[in-house]
Amino acid sequence: MSMAIFSSTPPTQLPTLSPPQTKKTQFFYKPYFSLRPTKKHQYLVPIFASADEGSGVAAVKVEDEKASENPVSAGENLGSNGSPPLAAEAPEPATAELVESANKFQDPRWVGGTWDLKQFAKGGKTDWDAVIDAEVKRRKWMEDNPQSSSNEDPIAFDTAIIPWWAWIKRFHLPEAELLNGRAAMIGFFMAYLVDSLTGVGLVDQMGNFFCKTLLFVAVVGVLLIRKNEDIETIKKLLEETTFYDKQWQATWQDETSSKSEKN
Amino acid sequence: MASIALKSFVGLRQTTSENKSIVLSKPTTQTRRNFRINASKSSPRVTGRNLRVAVVGGGPAGGAAAETLAKGGVETFLFERKLDNCKPCGGAIPLCMVGEFDLPLDIIDRRVTKMKMISPSNVAVDIGRTLKPHEYIGMVRREVLDAYLRDRATTAGATVINGLFLKMDLPKSTGSPYVLHYSDYDSKTGGAGEKKTVEVDAVIGADGANSRVAKNINAGEYEYAIAFQERIKISDDKMKYYEDLAEMYVGDDVSPDFYGWVFPKCDHVAVGTGTVTHKGDIKKLQTATRLRARDKIEGGKIIRVEAHPIPEHPRPRRVLDRVALVGDAAGYVTKCSGEGIYFAAKSGRMCAEAIVEGSENGKRMVDESDLRKYLEKWDKTYWPTYKVLDVLQKVFYRSNPAREAFVEMCADEYVQKMTFDSYLYKKVVPGNPLDDLKLAVNTIGSLVRANALRREMEKLSV
Repeated sequence: MSMAIFSSTPPTQLPTLSPPQTKKTQFFYKPYFSLRPTKKHQYLVPIFASADEGSGVAAVKVEDEKASENPVSAGENLGSNGSPPLAAEAPEPATAELVESANKFQDPRWVGGTWDLKQFAKGGKTDWDAVIDAEVKRRKWMEDNPQSSSNEDPIAFDTAIIPWWAWIKRFHLPEAELLNGRAAMIGFFMAYLVDSLTGVGLVDQMGNFFCKTLLFVAVVGVLLIRKNEDIETIKKLLEETTFYDKQWQATWQDETSSKSEKN
Repeated sequence: MASIALKSFVGLRQTTSENKSIVLSKPTTQTRRNFRINASKSSPRVTGRNLRVAVVGGGPAGGAAAETLAKGGVETFLFERKLDNCKPCGGAIPLCMVGEFDLPLDIIDRRVTKMKMISPSNVAVDIGRTLKPHEYIGMVRREVLDAYLRDRATTAGATVINGLFLKMDLPKSTGSPYVLHYSDYDSKTGGAGEKKTVEVDAVIGADGANSRVAKNINAGEYEYAIAFQERIKISDDKMKYYEDLAEMYVGDDVSPDFYGWVFPKCDHVAVGTGTVTHKGDIKKLQTATRLRARDKIEGGKIIRVEAHPIPEHPRPRRVLDRVALVGDAAGYVTKCSGEGIYFAAKSGRMCAEAIVEGSENGKRMVDESDLRKYLEKWDKTYWPTYKVLDVLQKVFYRSNPAREAFVEMCADEYVQKMTFDSYLYKKVVPGNPLDDLKLAVNTIGSLVRANALRREMEKLSV
């Protein structure tokens, strides 16, 4: 099996097919303590794995893998892996050929082309944060090690299975807190400034149309411009929306203006 | 300034009368431009013989144009430098083309009814469930299709000249002919060809992405993508998988602004990719495409390697005096899907129809206003299609998270139905507003999720 790792070019006649894994020749070996306690089978093989904990080391454990490759039985799998504490009910996707499988994304919770939600259970409910983390790791690994898409184990994970509130809690709320804080600071400072300059108190400011406009501008600004670069980004986006139209109209405009110059 | 007056054309020309009113405000200092307000039907210029039109380029655009011209009573010369040219091409034609151009079913090698979209993280989605039994995407061999259309043009009365268009002399005054210089090969291979000239009254430039006619009229440049394709012969059992299925791979590894594909052809598959912004990396992108499809094309033998430029947008000038560009020469390739065969043939036909109508079946001379009518009709009919595909490309081919969202969206049945309906029939149908709203919400949701995951991924690498 280790031979297969080193000569990872598949036996085809496709010319110039360089193994993509050569990009990342780092033998990054993190002690994989959470799931596989049988360290005696692990040795430092220069596997071209990414820095990912779970999947990278899974590829290292070549000799172990060999036993699990054969789609014999789940029990044998668990046995050879030293019966991990996690309830890994199903074996890893082991239907791919020996040569390619060494580089496929491996993770005990990645079953049949999707995440096995039962394995993410925490306190009776699914730990969505862990699902998100796992998917992030998988995508990072896939981006660094592009894999052949195979028909035997198709990947069918849809991020929509993670409920909307999990996304909001994790991604939206921290940013919302930040933006609200900014808006509040700007609001307090501007209210104080306007009051000190014009003597108009906060309640009276709200009744004034000009102040309401300023408020609107401030809110929109805080929402859209979160970094300095965003100003440029927005300008570019606006230009982009009409660029294609301009290219199509060129024949109608160019026809009179440039012709007159030519003549 | 006249150009400002014309700026009121916003995406879609409303009516011809608007065009006329705009023209009226044009300054009269430009004497050369006889921009007739009325159609040339009332033009005093009448020819004693039939109108002569040269169609340069014998691909789908040229063949369709020549046929329509010949049928309309115009004396047509169709120039093609290589009659057996095996063009590098995806070869996909929509269903409507078969009907509109009366194509015999035997020139279609394959009917693709299923497509697989594969995201950067190899999430695979099958689309095509919503197709009705008679709907398919036709895969053709360009040499077969082109030859068929040219033969039909010949039957209709066009003269096919096997020669290479060299250059053309623009007319010195209105009404004088264009003089085309060409090398006549006359089906002899290898020779230099005899230098000949021919005089015609109008020219249709259908000579493809590197159009010489376009250069002659200073049509301007366009951005173009390089499409690189390898034809691979794979074993029969692997070929069975591609019996009626085409694949699309998206991802930064495969193409930073386009997609990689595996299209089935008559007895082999074409594996390719394309890009606009990273043309120098095309070989690397092709290797990545082959890697992603490796399991399915393993053991295959590369039988041909080909590459071709694909225009990204129309040329700044598509019509000048009595010369019009059609097809790839004009830049009528859609974004997002890179489809060009149907639009080439249709634009050739539309331009020819405009010439036939403007010349009253070859009896009168045409002028620029007649050709502009073709442009107007074209822009009006197909602008929505092009714009929608442009928006799709801008939104979904931007980055890996956008591509993941794209593939996720493709799993939705409403999306599949809309996509195929608009692709097969080339009409942008609005669809049910409630479903559209749901679709918009789902799209935004997908994009937000994918981008959120992306930001987490970046945290990992840091």
